[in-house]
Amino acid sequence: MNTPYKPRIHRRFIGGYMPRIDALEKAQGRAPYADDIISERNYPGLLHVRVLCSPYPRARIIRLDASKAAAMPGVKAILTYQDPEVKRMKPTNASWTDGVDTLSYERMMWTKFKDRQVLGNYATWAGDEVGVAIAAESEHIAEQALKLVEVEWEVLPFVLDPLIALQPEAPVIHPEITLNNVLPPDPVGGPDIFMTKGDAKQAFTTADVILEMDTSNHNPTQGALDPWCCLAQWEGDRLTIVSNSFHADQTRMHISQMLELPIHNVRVISKYVGGQFGRANTGEQPFFIFTALLAKKTGRPVKFKHTRRDSFHDTRVSALYHCKVGAKTDGTITALQFKSIGDIGGHADGSVFALKFAPAEISEVAFAPIPNVTMESYAVYTNHIPGGIMRGVGNSQFNFIFGRMIDGLAERLEMDPISLAIKNFGHEWGTCPDPSLKAVLEIGAQRLDWYKKRHKPGAGPLYDGVNRRGVGFSLHPAWHAEWQEERRGQIQAKITLLPDGTVILDTPTTEIGTGSNTCNVLGCAEALSFLGVRPEDITWSSTVDSDTGMRDCVQTDSAVSYLQSEVLVVAAQELKVKLLDLAAPILGIAGDRLEITEGRIIGPGKNISIKELLMKGDLMPLSVTVSRSPAKQRTGVPYFASFAEVEVNTATGRTQVLKLIIVNDCGTVMYASGAEAQQIGGQVMAVGEALTEEIVYDPIHGVPLNFNFIDYKIPTILDMPKIEPVLLEIWRGAGEYGACGIGEGTITCTPRAIASAVYNAIGTRIDEIPITPEKVLRALGRI
Amino acid sequence: MAARLKNSSNDRLTIRINGELREFEIGPDLEPLTTLSEFLRERLGYTGLKISCDEGACGACTIIMDGKAVLSCMLLAMEADGKDLVTIEGLPKDDPVLEAFAEQCEPGHGTALQCGFCTPGFVMTTRALLNENPTPTLDEVKEALSGNLCRCGCYDGITMAVLHASEKITLRRGQA
Repeated sequence: MNTPYKPRIHRRFIGGYMPRIDALEKAQGRAPYADDIISERNYPGLLHVRVLCSPYPRARIIRLDASKAAAMPGVKAILTYQDPEVKRMKPTNASWTDGVDTLSYERMMWTKFKDRQVLGNYATWAGDEVGVAIAAESEHIAEQALKLVEVEWEVLPFVLDPLIALQPEAPVIHPEITLNNVLPPDPVGGPDIFMTKGDAKQAFTTADVILEMDTSNHNPTQGALDPWCCLAQWEGDRLTIVSNSFHADQTRMHISQMLELPIHNVRVISKYVGGQFGRANTGEQPFFIFTALLAKKTGRPVKFKHTRRDSFHDTRVSALYHCKVGAKTDGTITALQFKSIGDIGGHADGSVFALKFAPAEISEVAFAPIPNVTMESYAVYTNHIPGGIMRGVGNSQFNFIFGRMIDGLAERLEMDPISLAIKNFGHEWGTCPDPSLKAVLEIGAQRLDWYKKRHKPGAGPLYDGVNRRGVGFSLHPAWHAEWQEERRGQIQAKITLLPDGTVILDTPTTEIGTGSNTCNVLGCAEALSFLGVRPEDITWSSTVDSDTGMRDCVQTDSAVSYLQSEVLVVAAQELKVKLLDLAAPILGIAGDRLEITEGRIIGPGKNISIKELLMKGDLMPLSVTVSRSPAKQRTGVPYFASFAEVEVNTATGRTQVLKLIIVNDCGTVMYASGAEAQQIGGQVMAVGEALTEEIVYDPIHGVPLNFNFIDYKIPTILDMPKIEPVLLEIWRGAGEYGACGIGEGTITCTPRAIASAVYNAIGTRIDEIPITPEKVLRALGRI
Repeated sequence: MAARLKNSSNDRLTIRINGELREFEIGPDLEPLTTLSEFLRERLGYTGLKISCDEGACGACTIIMDGKAVLSCMLLAMEADGKDLVTIEGLPKDDPVLEAFAEQCEPGHGTALQCGFCTPGFVMTTRALLNENPTPTLDEVKEALSGNLCRCGCYDGITMAVLHASEKITLRRGQA
């Protein structure tokens, strides 16, 4: 138990178990978040904004009278859809990018899906921010004033079920985009059948076994505890935004282009963020724009903040998946066909990323050994909360059917599903069996005691007269290897060596909890170990400020943990050259005859410390700024897996997870404590998604009923099982470390592992998450 | 304590905050309906406590009132009249709970915090638990912390931190 992982190469700092660099500051409550910073104390005269949220799932404002609100004491400005600066706003999408890169309005990922109008008059879900926003002396006054606004709505027919939305008589939700509620093919996602390899149709005719199955997942929400919050403040023509957005450079581009401001006149600052998890799709939100317009109108700093209810703002795309698999009797898969119907809610945003982009990425690697594959998807508008980007985007939904297919086919062929998986999946640049996949599954099986605990479905012993136990697993290829990060473009890092040998590290990235800041410091210390630099000698800036001129590396794909450390390796080499250039004249020895090791410069007859050397110089800080693109080398991907043991109470229908084993091949573990925290931590979201979290609607009125943390059930400490994190270094990527991100994916396999374990326990499949007691009792024929 | 502190006047509150006795006038900044969390955070600047759900479901605004962990979003500021409050800013720098949360990196359990937003709430709940019961069992720890949500999911690291804090308290008592 709790055996620390064994590193492939022992390094001085990288890969260590140690506290996070921000741990004390956070434990003491001193770490500043946007909501802490944006206060009257820091911004005298601060105004607060509330925006109208549609009470109807689909409706149009036909008349709005805000005169009573305007007369209310404390109300400073009102912005409505009728104002010229709002009317001339171009239509937009809240997901110009998936976060890895900065994209402009013209080049946004989803150019065909601009279905959002800033403060428009047309609402497509009950909660849509539309029509009117009010800035007042307090949140309370703004809220009260909003109630005084007379709004005449044209309440329109709505649709919640994507299958009904596909019917010809269904209300057309965004006629400017599509007349049948299905998003049209687009340059990024591709056509409806977005992936074709070989001829699956033909291959099915010769397959020994054919199996078909369906799964359904729901739309859990990110549930970051830190609600959206932003400040807009103008000084002349210059706008400053402080927010808990996690991509400053993209936020600057978004605001500059929506408000038609020169880029240098927009400054974006972020500090600590209390959880991100892909929320807001992932950031080009209209509220930045109307907050900025209200600040302009009033000439005062203006704060916009979501309440907990408002922060139910977007979700994972819920999807119905169908899979058809053809195989030989020896378990070789010959043909795969996947089809999904995604419920994208009232706005398109990044939903196609989930439904097409991510599954295409998976098939590129995992299905490389399978000759015939077809993937097809339909993104369907409904009047639900918008679905789009959430941690594990697209992969979580896909894994739920992928793992189902492995489990089902193995059962049909009377094979062990682990052997079946190892036999069939790998990646294009490797050999089958894939060493990473094999290691991940074999170690997971061993840690869970798979072969002892696994039994025929529903055939295990009965515990306490009512409980059945079962085990399940699922596997997934990583999507965070360095070559998969190519779209990021240049990643920047700056190291400044101060005259006493201490270091200021500028690796801009907004700290959202992932621990990549600690990776940065470890990576810097590792790269500068020739200078004798230790982590405690390094200051890492927790402020991301677009005015520094550096682009922040966004915390998506969990890749920041190693990407910036790879750049630091190059930066350290450049720093060494500069140091030798500095040392040569001071020591009177040519640079090529000098060596730097363990913090000392050594040459013929000389041996002095770096600090002594620097103190003899001009005392200028020595800086290097390096930009480097991710390595393009196609190294394939590592695998990861979840193994679950559950206990199902056949009397109450309650499913309890007893144990989870989370296995990640990391390539290289950059920071062991942080990696384990991600492996363990992701399970709260995964177990919630599998068992308890679910947005519930009133089907008659189309409104969500549980936008709060009492009825939307996030697992507590009492709901969580024993979790065993297993870190491996089997696969190797490009660069000095050859690492791969792991954090995002840690939640991807668990819902399927739990669902298969429930089947193993009770002998009836429930392929629709969340697996609620009601569904279990129904499956058991009890209700 | 409460009786001694309580102010006889109806337009004033007397609250001891982190050891300091303070008086506040009821006015625009302190209305009858101002919640204690809003009062402490927004009016007085104790931003260590966080307002996340604002309805008693997440524990991020936990403070200690007369020795008990309370959800400050579920109390009105008026209800704190005559009370002794401790916010996270009031804990000494060498508080074993703070130290244990910051230090947790024992292999197999991850860290006790990631984004850190829920952390002050967990720290205060833990502090109140260990004040009452310095050597809790694992079940008692979980029970005490079951009203605090951590979306980053650091429950295991948090549990270890609480147990380590308990060990520190025992050790320091032995040394005292």
